[in-house]
Amino acid sequence: MNNGFALWLFAVSLGASALGGMLGMASGIFIVPILTMFGHIDIHTAIGASIVSVIACSCGGAAPFLKGRLTNVRLAIVLETATTLGALTGVLLAGMAPVPYLYFLFAVILLLSAQQMLAKRGDPAGTSGSADTGSWAATLRLDSSYPDRALGREVAYRVQRLPLGMLLMYGAGLISALLGIGSGVLKIPAMDTALRLPIKVSSATSNFMIGVTAAASAGAYFMRGNIVTAVAGPVALGSVIGAVAGARILMIVSNDKIRLFFVVILVALGIQMLLASFGVHLLKGAQ
Amino acid sequence: MNARLEWLLAGLLQYGSWLASIVIGLGLALSSMRAATIGIALFILLPTLRVLLMLLVFLRERDYRFTAIAALVLAIILLGFAVGMRTTTEPT
Repeated sequence: MNNGFALWLFAVSLGASALGGMLGMASGIFIVPILTMFGHIDIHTAIGASIVSVIACSCGGAAPFLKGRLTNVRLAIVLETATTLGALTGVLLAGMAPVPYLYFLFAVILLLSAQQMLAKRGDPAGTSGSADTGSWAATLRLDSSYPDRALGREVAYRVQRLPLGMLLMYGAGLISALLGIGSGVLKIPAMDTALRLPIKVSSATSNFMIGVTAAASAGAYFMRGNIVTAVAGPVALGSVIGAVAGARILMIVSNDKIRLFFVVILVALGIQMLLASFGVHLLKGAQ
Repeated sequence: MNARLEWLLAGLLQYGSWLASIVIGLGLALSSMRAATIGIALFILLPTLRVLLMLLVFLRERDYRFTAIAALVLAIILLGFAVGMRTTTEPT
């Protein structure tokens, strides 16, 4: 593995992560397709590198959310029982799943993410009202409040439908481990539709959880020898720096333009992964 | 609700990420794969330590229910390490 290749990995991860950071998305969803399609890296090695970068971005970006009291740490640890268990299941499946299946599943997730990105996401209605909250959230004291800067006051919220949220989080953990991504595509419906959290709380809490979820699978992949330092090192470093840069650029560029750009890339990568799963390679020399 | 825990966690994750990144960066710059691997291992251990820290804080607050929940998450992560040692990936 030469220096030029390491530099390429670093640059690509930095770019992907900066792009992801602009929309509050983990870069993992770009890293695996880029490494396999353009870098001709084995998919298990790509997943191993990507999962480390997912941890790096989660840990590196957590502090401002925590200090701003947007992260619901109690809810996070409860949901992490489900995400880590899902991750463990994913690790076991990853060892058995044939490679074309992984490509296919990845393509589906990419296209779903593109579709989700196009749909408008708003704060769920009635976040603080309705008395139909399950006894779970009350027993575990999960309801909380966060300081909203735009409104200039504390906003109280309730955590709803915890069992459904846990089930979706299990799925998110499984997909995260299997494909080496943060799997926001499953976490967003879990947070918005099931738990009905305000967006800021859901983004912060989801970012916080991703690191622990990914650690459960990364530990296994590390021990299994799927994490190749020559690949994972440059990718992790590039991702951390990119995530910091992305959050800065976010302030300058219009959100709608990035969103559209994002959708185009997701669809393009999705189609390529789909073709690859059927053994069709547009780029010469792949596999 | 629990501002002290949040600041503790923020500090651990922030400084831990810096440390791991610097170790990986130095390892790559000096072509020392061993150092870079240690940096990667630090990143994997960081969330694990975060759960351990939460466990200890919950224990100190005598919040036994959440101590147990944190212990469960920690156990699952450690099980992940054990599973990795015992299974292999299909050769591709």
